[in-house]
Amino acid sequence: MPKVKQKRVGFLIDMTPLVDITFLLLTFFMFTAKFKSEADSEQKFFIERPKASADTSKLPEVNLAIVKVAFADSTKADTAYYFTMTNKDEFLQVKNMTTSLAAEQKENAQLQISLETLDELLSNVQKINNETKFAIDADRSLPFNWIYSAMDKLRKNRFTVFNYVTETQQ
Amino acid sequence: MSGGGSLGGGGSKSKRGNTKRKTKERKGFHIDMTPLVDITFLLLTFFMFTTTMATPQVMEMSLPPEVDTPIDVKCSELLNILIDDDDRVMWYYCDGLLEEVTDTKKVREISFEYNLRDDIKNKLIIALKVSEHANYGLVVNILDELNLAEMNIISELTGTGEDRRRKFTIAKLTELDYEKIAAEMPMESGIFESDEE
Repeated sequence: MPKVKQKRVGFLIDMTPLVDITFLLLTFFMFTAKFKSEADSEQKFFIERPKASADTSKLPEVNLAIVKVAFADSTKADTAYYFTMTNKDEFLQVKNMTTSLAAEQKENAQLQISLETLDELLSNVQKINNETKFAIDADRSLPFNWIYSAMDKLRKNRFTVFNYVTETQQ
Repeated sequence: MSGGGSLGGGGSKSKRGNTKRKTKERKGFHIDMTPLVDITFLLLTFFMFTTTMATPQVMEMSLPPEVDTPIDVKCSELLNILIDDDDRVMWYYCDGLLEEVTDTKKVREISFEYNLRDDIKNKLIIALKVSEHANYGLVVNILDELNLAEMNIISELTGTGEDRRRKFTIAKLTELDYEKIAAEMPMESGIFESDEE
């Protein structure tokens, strides 16, 4: 007897709830998404931030200048300073005023600098906008000396109130 | 138009005398949602992977401005917390003996206790002296404990009519501090050596 060919019945799944939820999540993630800044995408190192619990305030977003301190390479022998500002116009002005910066360095959104250049940059920031808030973003395994030197430069340029960037302690 | 349809508009009217309107047969229709869902999932995964949920936090730090002339401080109003090269945390009050702190949480208790002593309330200066080779993470932990103590102190002081004036400074370890550590809190390895002799 010839086999009875079973007729394939096409079936449909109601995708509406799936689409609902997906759109909901999509809009949520779209609105909460914060993209890496130009300076962050240039960054080739990773900073393991120190953990703290007391202060719950978040990093300010306007008029912020960040001094990053991180190991220069994987040998962890030397440390490098990085400097960036969120206000692009002011950052450009500061960069143009700073004489110890090389011309090609002025293109960067994040400057790798020496302590002396940091000093000059800070004094220029003070001239352009003394309302600028400062944050020190440093790796937790660094020797304190490096951070102290940066703090000292900040203090010399009359930025006596600043922030340490930390991570929430679990 | 519908008039020329196969049902024959005029004919149906005559068959059912009382119904004026023609009841059209509703056909359910489906939109193929697959491409829509494809794109949506693509975007969803993209945004899910690019978002960083944990925004960094900050700890505020205010340094006393630079002064050229050193100011004399009453010994009874000074509490020193030292961190040495090997990340040992020690403290002493006035010209007392060094004491090692094994758990950073102890720093909070010390600050709380001394800041609320009746004779030095609101006058105490806490000086955090840190070795150049100490670990930055540890320093932040100590600062964090001091900040936590500050919250307790403020809540203790509210109602007493006094405003909290915090006095705090951070500095490097001086030669004198190194001498004090060497005299009162020598390295453990040194102790073992002397035991063997």
